[in-house]
Amino acid sequence: MRVKVGELLLAIGFIGLMATLYLAFNWAPSVNINAFESPEAQRIFYWHVPAAWAAFIAFAVLFAGSALWMFKRSPLGWKLHVAGSEAGLACGLMAVWSGCVWGAAEWGTPWDWEDWRLNTFGLLTLLALFLVLGRQSQPDGVESRDTFSTFGLYGFVLVPLTYVATRIWVIRHPGPVIAGEEGSSISGDMALVLMIGALSFTILIVGHIITSMEITKFEQRLERLQKRLDGE
Amino acid sequence: MDDKTYLSIAYLGMIFAIAIWTWTIVSRSRTLEQRIIAMEESLNVDSIPIDSIAEVNDTGEE
Repeated sequence: MRVKVGELLLAIGFIGLMATLYLAFNWAPSVNINAFESPEAQRIFYWHVPAAWAAFIAFAVLFAGSALWMFKRSPLGWKLHVAGSEAGLACGLMAVWSGCVWGAAEWGTPWDWEDWRLNTFGLLTLLALFLVLGRQSQPDGVESRDTFSTFGLYGFVLVPLTYVATRIWVIRHPGPVIAGEEGSSISGDMALVLMIGALSFTILIVGHIITSMEITKFEQRLERLQKRLDGE
Repeated sequence: MDDKTYLSIAYLGMIFAIAIWTWTIVSRSRTLEQRIIAMEESLNVDSIPIDSIAEVNDTGEE
């Protein structure tokens, strides 16, 4: 049986995520119990941060695809837009869900409405949800693609805003541990598990984007066949 | 509920969700491909993928 690149990457990414899960539970060192309300729940960090990282990759793909469609009318751009919004939704929900679990354990509340970073990231995920649901409920056409691409372009503003919010408006959510302020680094073993998680999520998201682009291509072929059957 | 139990449930939920998501897109891709190949063979058409929306837009047609 022919193995597709996208499916292979999805499988590798998934195995990597399982390995991350195992290492996070059984190998990564515990944090200082005085620094956290719920030290064990901190282990969700090895899933939460890579999921957010993968979501940003997906949102960058969404932005590039939206721009290619808007300015070049590129079929590849539309495929990237579709793949980026679906992958962004999946990874965004992973990051939000894991963040809520961690927040509930650490802060006693799953969400902080006053924290900029949480809210801008939540908005990004909602934007991806709107694009995915909107595309399914609207007939495919130039106008609908233009509308969704416009949202994809303007919505990307939230990405640098979220990045800046992690550094400037740190309220409850901790600041970045990599490339952050002085003294914000993590130990070697923790960084290794985090990197394995980030790499696994990146491979998974690339696999998803490739597979999703193939699905869009199939849908276009199906539409062409339908037109032929209809005698157009 | 202690920390480890709480974390295990959360992690298992996420792994389960991501497994379903991954399987859904793979099976969707395979099903579509099989159906299209069968249709193209029965209709005797080539399999060049065309984005009709982009094509219509390029030629300026409505």
